[in-house]
Amino acid sequence: MALGADRYASRAGTLLFVACVALSFAAMSLPDRVRDPLARLLRQTVLAPLLALQEQSQLLAASLSRYETVVAERDSAALSATFLPELRSENARLRALLGLGQRLGGGYAAAEVLHQSTPTSALGLVVSAGRRQGVRPLNGVVSPEGLVGIVSAVDDRTSVVVTWAYPEFRASAMAADGSVYGIVAPHGTEGPRTWLLELRGVPYRQLVPNGTLILTSGLGGVFPRGIPLGTVVGVAGEAAGWERTYLLRPAVHPAGVSHVMILTAPRSGGGGGGDVRSAFESAGERP
Amino acid sequence: MRRSDKYRFLVILAGLVVLQFSVRPRLGDDRIAPDFMLLALLIYTIRAQPGRSAGAGFLVGLLRDALTPASFGSGALAHTVVGYLSAWSKAVFFAENLFVNGCLFFAGTWLRNLIVAVFSGKVKGGMLGWELLVWSPIQSLTTALVGVVVLWMFRRELAIRLGDA
Repeated sequence: MALGADRYASRAGTLLFVACVALSFAAMSLPDRVRDPLARLLRQTVLAPLLALQEQSQLLAASLSRYETVVAERDSAALSATFLPELRSENARLRALLGLGQRLGGGYAAAEVLHQSTPTSALGLVVSAGRRQGVRPLNGVVSPEGLVGIVSAVDDRTSVVVTWAYPEFRASAMAADGSVYGIVAPHGTEGPRTWLLELRGVPYRQLVPNGTLILTSGLGGVFPRGIPLGTVVGVAGEAAGWERTYLLRPAVHPAGVSHVMILTAPRSGGGGGGDVRSAFESAGERP
Repeated sequence: MRRSDKYRFLVILAGLVVLQFSVRPRLGDDRIAPDFMLLALLIYTIRAQPGRSAGAGFLVGLLRDALTPASFGSGALAHTVVGYLSAWSKAVFFAENLFVNGCLFFAGTWLRNLIVAVFSGKVKGGMLGWELLVWSPIQSLTTALVGVVVLWMFRRELAIRLGDA
């Protein structure tokens, strides 16, 4: 039986609704310097146990998945051990399975992505590493395939990552051979090319063939040089004969990422000169 | 409602919130997995007055916004409106019928996604179309199916007379 509407009619209820709507609009118009501390406070208090629960759940899921992989690898190793001539090649294959973290050598924090269920969840991610793991704002966030985004806010145990799909995301980029430089930005949300990147500011006389790998250039000091951003798939537009914009197929899609690495240490100097390209090239050669 | 029933009701809602953070991440694609937290809000609105439902929706939305800073405030607005309308709809239109409640869950989820998408200002054009015409209906459907199962399993604890349509 339906309940009577008059039983529900209440001036106080209507006022409460109007107040909540007004507060919602006020929250939408909050500047970042007010909004971020408020969101951080909620994450560190009310949501902290729930985020910890989600992290444990994803760790458990990852552990189960890894267990199956480990069992399969162990079985393979046992089988290979019976064929000594093949032991060396088996060893090489297992070496190739070593993760990106080992190739990077250090200066990173591994984290699980705590996916949420709203339409904008691919634009900004919450990850399970924060200040305690050495994460700082503006740290780069990568997966074995390439650049995921950049840290925008840091809590004790979690961080907020703005992905490359966020409308204001920009990264200084170059072709893999260093012949072309430009700025990479999300292509936008219009038409069938949603979820593509674009390489802007390429001089008109410099042609970039399809299939060219685009990497971070290291200019600006935010991202290390050599992180894959995407692959050129075509020309997006031309500006009056003096520059071209190219479309890129992203190296990694934020919605499909479950684990990331946050680059916590500056990578200038050293033998690699701050260039992490070799780590990702190795990742691409995995079986 | 007896005091023991009230506690059971709260335990069921808390259980749905726990499911949101423990089981949901393992259910596959975020865009289509059922939203247990919104479901808890909608079940709460079945028995609550519109004002309280709006308040509960605002709190739930604000917590969701803390996890998705790209659309801060739009979640609070969306959950407030959905909570308020759901409670009113229950009072004015809906009988206590399993199918009708399923439709309420479907509409509530879709409306929530619509408001978040529109008021966040970040989802536009083709992306908005895909969100509202493909992903949101699928998520609404999965949420409604889970909601119907929850109502059917806990009809006594939720004090819902499903056969009274």
